Amino acid sequence: MTRFAARVCLFAFCAVCLWGCGSKPGQEGSSGAVVRDSATTQRIEVSKLDAPALARLIQERHGKVLFLNVWATWCVPCVEEFPDLVKLHHAFAGRPVEIVGVSADFDDEVESKIIPFLKKQNVPFRVYVASFQRQEDFINGVHTSWSGALPASLIIDSKGERKWFQVGKGAFDQFKLEIEKTLGGL
Amino acid sequence: MEGSMTRVISQLLLAVLTVSMLVAGEGKKKVADFTLEDCNGVKHTLSDYRSSKAIVLMFIATKCPVSNAYNTRMAELQKDYASKGVTFIGINSNKQENAEEVKNHAKEHGFEFPILKDWNNVIADKLEASVTPEIYVLNSGLDVLYHGRIDDSQRENRVSSKDLRAALDRILSGKAVEVEVTKAFGCSIKRVQ
Repeated sequence: MTRFAARVCLFAFCAVCLWGCGSKPGQEGSSGAVVRDSATTQRIEVSKLDAPALARLIQERHGKVLFLNVWATWCVPCVEEFPDLVKLHHAFAGRPVEIVGVSADFDDEVESKIIPFLKKQNVPFRVYVASFQRQEDFINGVHTSWSGALPASLIIDSKGERKWFQVGKGAFDQFKLEIEKTLGGL
Repeated sequence: MEGSMTRVISQLLLAVLTVSMLVAGEGKKKVADFTLEDCNGVKHTLSDYRSSKAIVLMFIATKCPVSNAYNTRMAELQKDYASKGVTFIGINSNKQENAEEVKNHAKEHGFEFPILKDWNNVIADKLEASVTPEIYVLNSGLDVLYHGRIDDSQRENRVSSKDLRAALDRILSGKAVEVEVTKAFGCSIKRVQ
């Protein structure tokens, strides 16, 4: 009986944890909640990134290395390093590498802050806005050792394994070197 | 019957012992004593505050929008808990924010707690602090009882979990802190190379 009660408690605990880690009702992952910039011909999309979408982004690599950068419009070093991410995207064009940005701004600031910033940067890669019920779940989902300090950059290999993680501002040469290492060319 | 009674008593004793150890800080990360000058040039030694019921170390910044979003909340926390025996100490470890700037920022926002200038981020390195705002709550033995955020949203109207207040309330009532570590977005501490 005691063992049965313990199992019931364990099941209830896991159910609560899984429910707590999920997305908000009504919020969609990368497949929905797309915001477009209709003012210009430039197509800028910022999708909401929830827990299932983050898991898919990391695990479903389709043979490509992922360079994930978490930034915010209010974060000065993030803004300073952003042109290097754009440069990185162009440097790896035609190679199995995907550059992705995730904004840590609020998900209701897409049109007021995120898109104007991306337009100015002429961003050629996918950008999401973190949209988690608990900010902590996103932070731990990116890397369990991450405190939440911005910017943060993560490299995932083509098999979905975390290979490199850095908190704080980086630079083009350093990012390029780490991606090349993950690709196996160095 | 006697056997089950003995088992219940021993389980109760174990529970009491565990709670006592947690409140006392057994098995917790300990902060080594340090001395730093505040932005007015006054020296503060951490162990001088050991008679407090809790010491709250707050890594803050003058230019970080996240830290600044908490200015009013930090001032209110100090007002609400100082009379209950809790000591608040701000620490600025950012290399580009000098003592004069820290002093003006504190005055502007009505901070009544000292703000220590951590030149060369020595204390931030020792505590492995990486973000602003970042909180460490210590007991009289300088054990870390709580580490993390003030609450769960920069926007005050979106806060659903007042983590620092919850931790302090538990400590003041002699209970173990329920959630000892939390995380939130913030600005990285700008360290010297």
